[in-house]
Amino acid sequence: MKGLFVVGSYGSGKTALCLGLALIFREQGLRVGYFKPIGVLAGVSGKEDEDVALMREVLGITDCCERMVVLHASHNYLSRYQKADAHLRLIKECYDELAADRDVVIMEGTTFPHVMASLGLDAGTIARQVGAVVLVVGRAEDDFSADRMILFNEYVRSRDAEVAGSVFNNVPRPLLDKVRGVYKPLLEDLGHRVLGVVPRRVEIAAPTVREFCAVLGGELLAGHEHLDLLVEDVLVGAMTLESALPYLRRSANKAVITGGDRADLVLATLETSTSLIVLTGGLYPDVKVVARASQRGVPLLLVHYDTYTTIEKLHAVSRKIKPDQEEAIRLAKDVVSQYVDWRAILDALR
Amino acid sequence: MKELESLFNPSAVAVLGASRSRQKLGNAVLRNIIDSGYPGKIFPVNPKEKEIEGLPCYPSVGAIPDPVDAAVIVVPSRLVKPLAEECGKKGIKHLIVITAGFREVGEEGWRAERELLQVCKKYGMRMVGPNCLGIIDTHTPLNATFATGFPLRGEIAFISQSGALCLAILDWSLDKGIGFSRFVSLGNKADLNESDFILSAAFDPHSRVIACYIEDVSDGRQFLAACSQATRRVPVLVYKAGTSQAGARAASSHTGALAGSDVAYETAFRQCGVLRARDMAQLFDWALAFSTQPLPRGKRVAVVTNSGGPGIITTDNVEARGLEMARFQKETIDRLRERLPAEANLYNPVDVIGDADPDRFAFALRTVAADPGVDSLIAILTPTAVIEPEETARRIIAVRQETPDKPLAAVFLGGPEVQEAVSQLSKAGIPSYTFPEPAVSAIEGLTRYAQLRARDRGRVVTFDDVDRQRVREIFREVREDGRTVLLATEAAEVARAYGIPVAPSALASQPDEAERIAKELGFPVALKVMSPRILHKTDVGGVRLGLNSPEAVRSAFVSILDAVSRHLPGVTIYGIQVQKMVDPGTELIIGLNRDNQFGPLLACGLGGIYVNLLRDVAFRLAWQLTDTDIQEMLQETKAYTLLRGFRGEPPKDVDAVVEALARTAQLARDFPEIAELDMNPVMVYERGLAALDVKITIDT
Repeated sequence: MKGLFVVGSYGSGKTALCLGLALIFREQGLRVGYFKPIGVLAGVSGKEDEDVALMREVLGITDCCERMVVLHASHNYLSRYQKADAHLRLIKECYDELAADRDVVIMEGTTFPHVMASLGLDAGTIARQVGAVVLVVGRAEDDFSADRMILFNEYVRSRDAEVAGSVFNNVPRPLLDKVRGVYKPLLEDLGHRVLGVVPRRVEIAAPTVREFCAVLGGELLAGHEHLDLLVEDVLVGAMTLESALPYLRRSANKAVITGGDRADLVLATLETSTSLIVLTGGLYPDVKVVARASQRGVPLLLVHYDTYTTIEKLHAVSRKIKPDQEEAIRLAKDVVSQYVDWRAILDALR
Repeated sequence: MKELESLFNPSAVAVLGASRSRQKLGNAVLRNIIDSGYPGKIFPVNPKEKEIEGLPCYPSVGAIPDPVDAAVIVVPSRLVKPLAEECGKKGIKHLIVITAGFREVGEEGWRAERELLQVCKKYGMRMVGPNCLGIIDTHTPLNATFATGFPLRGEIAFISQSGALCLAILDWSLDKGIGFSRFVSLGNKADLNESDFILSAAFDPHSRVIACYIEDVSDGRQFLAACSQATRRVPVLVYKAGTSQAGARAASSHTGALAGSDVAYETAFRQCGVLRARDMAQLFDWALAFSTQPLPRGKRVAVVTNSGGPGIITTDNVEARGLEMARFQKETIDRLRERLPAEANLYNPVDVIGDADPDRFAFALRTVAADPGVDSLIAILTPTAVIEPEETARRIIAVRQETPDKPLAAVFLGGPEVQEAVSQLSKAGIPSYTFPEPAVSAIEGLTRYAQLRARDRGRVVTFDDVDRQRVREIFREVREDGRTVLLATEAAEVARAYGIPVAPSALASQPDEAERIAKELGFPVALKVMSPRILHKTDVGGVRLGLNSPEAVRSAFVSILDAVSRHLPGVTIYGIQVQKMVDPGTELIIGLNRDNQFGPLLACGLGGIYVNLLRDVAFRLAWQLTDTDIQEMLQETKAYTLLRGFRGEPPKDVDAVVEALARTAQLARDFPEIAELDMNPVMVYERGLAALDVKITIDT
């Protein structure tokens, strides 16, 4: 069976899709491997590629990590890698090794399909070289999302690689009808199959408090036992108390960034649905505020950055499913089995 | 509130942590109880002592042979809980925990306080404090505090969230000669709070007025219920601290709880008949007036003065504070004319002029006091060479005794000249002031309370034709979508389920659908963007009005999407609401905002786009909202004048507005998860009304 190469842009939910497909394939009696030819240097956590760690644990893979992630893309990757041919050879070698005693290897692309094209190591080229079939994944935000999906499809084809189809992933509920009724027919008119329209599920897509803490560092003053709360929205609390409540009430399970000296705002926030409060400027709050946060079970994180820097850093926060998050893993599988035509994908691999 | 009688008048008191050392609070409390002349039994408890201040000391509460009603606890904080447990076993009914180191010191303290409360609950004990000064009852008499000094016996019950303020007021009152029935320091209010003590004092035969200093209310609903009941018996005066932004922040830090909005406090006070003092001086000016004066029958004030200037100042103040200058009967004026000099002013304010002696002054005062058109009296004296302040004071006291049913306030301007006279007045129970303003303020307080008490409070209106099930379903769907904000179409459905008329509309996700809906509803229609993220649709180009054809609907659909994406890129649009255009009417706003302390606050006023500019809004709390409240609320607004037909316009359907307000309040009571609701504009017609835009935010 051919390999399946899942490619798409950052934040499109590639890992969750790979995980779901892998679990379903395994249920079908297939021996499944996982391969990520190009990983991202985990700049913040400084740890091993987390996607690989997740797959190893969930799928019970014992292959050597260095053979599962071959290269690392970074902003200055050209300083590190020059010999295109040698790298490509290594990737093929590793793939063959992983595929040797397996029915199917699921490959996961890096942040964007075109990354490392200057060395001929872009996703399309790698797919052709290892003979994998590509599955294009994309989010649905607006009409440009359809354009991007078409572009990725045509790019992969231009590299003479085979495409199984596309999946719109993490689609917000209100856009479901439009994706199904407008984008999908548009793509299909152009000869691109759409194999799934997957509704967004916060349980898989939203980052947890733990991920915020990892990116921001700082000191956790309260709510140590609630690091797995989902953060679905981020607000900055800088307004007067009078204007704050209506604003804070409009969003659920949110992170609120405010100054440590804004006891009133923190207390107002604690009256609304909140997953995390980030206190900026290194200003310690009043003990009663900390006590109140503990009572409410809301983590209180003190950071030494100013508000702007804090928000800048938050761009690096994204949801990583952890091996121990059984509910998320189960859900990743359920949504794929329910909303993705995985049988058609399997057919394309045969 | 009979329950607290044995707290203020216990048969026996134990002092846990009593000490021999006069430097310790445990000694101060014990001596205060002894020195106050407390008639019951006193049991000091301290395992290390045999005798303290001449009383046998017990090693533990359990060792006390007699039953004990109340225990004062003055021990280190870690010992409080085990001792409370012992008290519970002993069958003690009340704890006064003076010890600090609980909620006010942070999380650990908060836990300890909660555990202490559990112990109290387990044994059915009621607790004052912790972290308080204690309580005083001057009629028992009992001084279970560590204050220095014992207040004069009087009829004012003073309840304070600040222990320090208690100490200061106590000392100040001794100097001013103001007496108290009770003194309560609330402390952390872990169990007993302001509402409990207000209600208890309302049933105390020795308390004629209740004065409170509070920073927050522990339980809004309890406060409303307690004060509604209390204010039917006695006046309740409240000074509420933390009204400014910075003050609220300070209060939040102090109490560790989010302050309710000042509008909500103001509304709550008004709805349950509490008089709100604007400063501490006013709180006690009022308290003094209530503790000594009868309630006036109306708001007509007569002023007698021996000098022009102060008379004018007083007149200005009477008008400004919503009182009226009395108009005398002809007989009164004739009688005054007989005895007063030609230069005197016979009309209110009566000026007996500078050469008046006590006789003339008393004659004028007696004459106007007898006038049936006079409800209350203000006597103003300026120390001239002939007035003899002390003699005049005696004459005023005599008039007071002749007309016991009309309140009287005295203004004796000056210093040493009038000092003795003022002291005589005060002893005779006539409040006297150095300047006119507080005197008028005192009469104003009395008058307002008299009006409040006479007012018919009305009844809570409810409707049976509401569809709760439908509302529950909509809220569930919204939550399942991970939202807190309802789409306008969903919100309109909620309003409709509660019988509030809403302009017909439906949600379209595509131009074709919009066109079809428009045809069904009939032209003209309006298109409005739907997104929980968009608060002000007009500002982002999300509203198109007066669309008369399918083509216009199509093109408006696309242009709204474009405009919104330009203003708010990345915001998810749920679709476009197609709404039938309705006829113009008088535009109102009806809103709800849930206050942290007092629950849903209903608002009504002039609607449309000028809401924020004109701020013509009146508020009421939805709990206990009566038909009288709704009528009064509406009458407070300028919108009411418009509704009744302004400048020849036909009057609008006020009854429909009253009903819509009552229904909105019922919705708020039935669904406490509604955090905010906004209907703006509500078009009011000669018959009926229609809400055009409904916004609702709920809790997850």
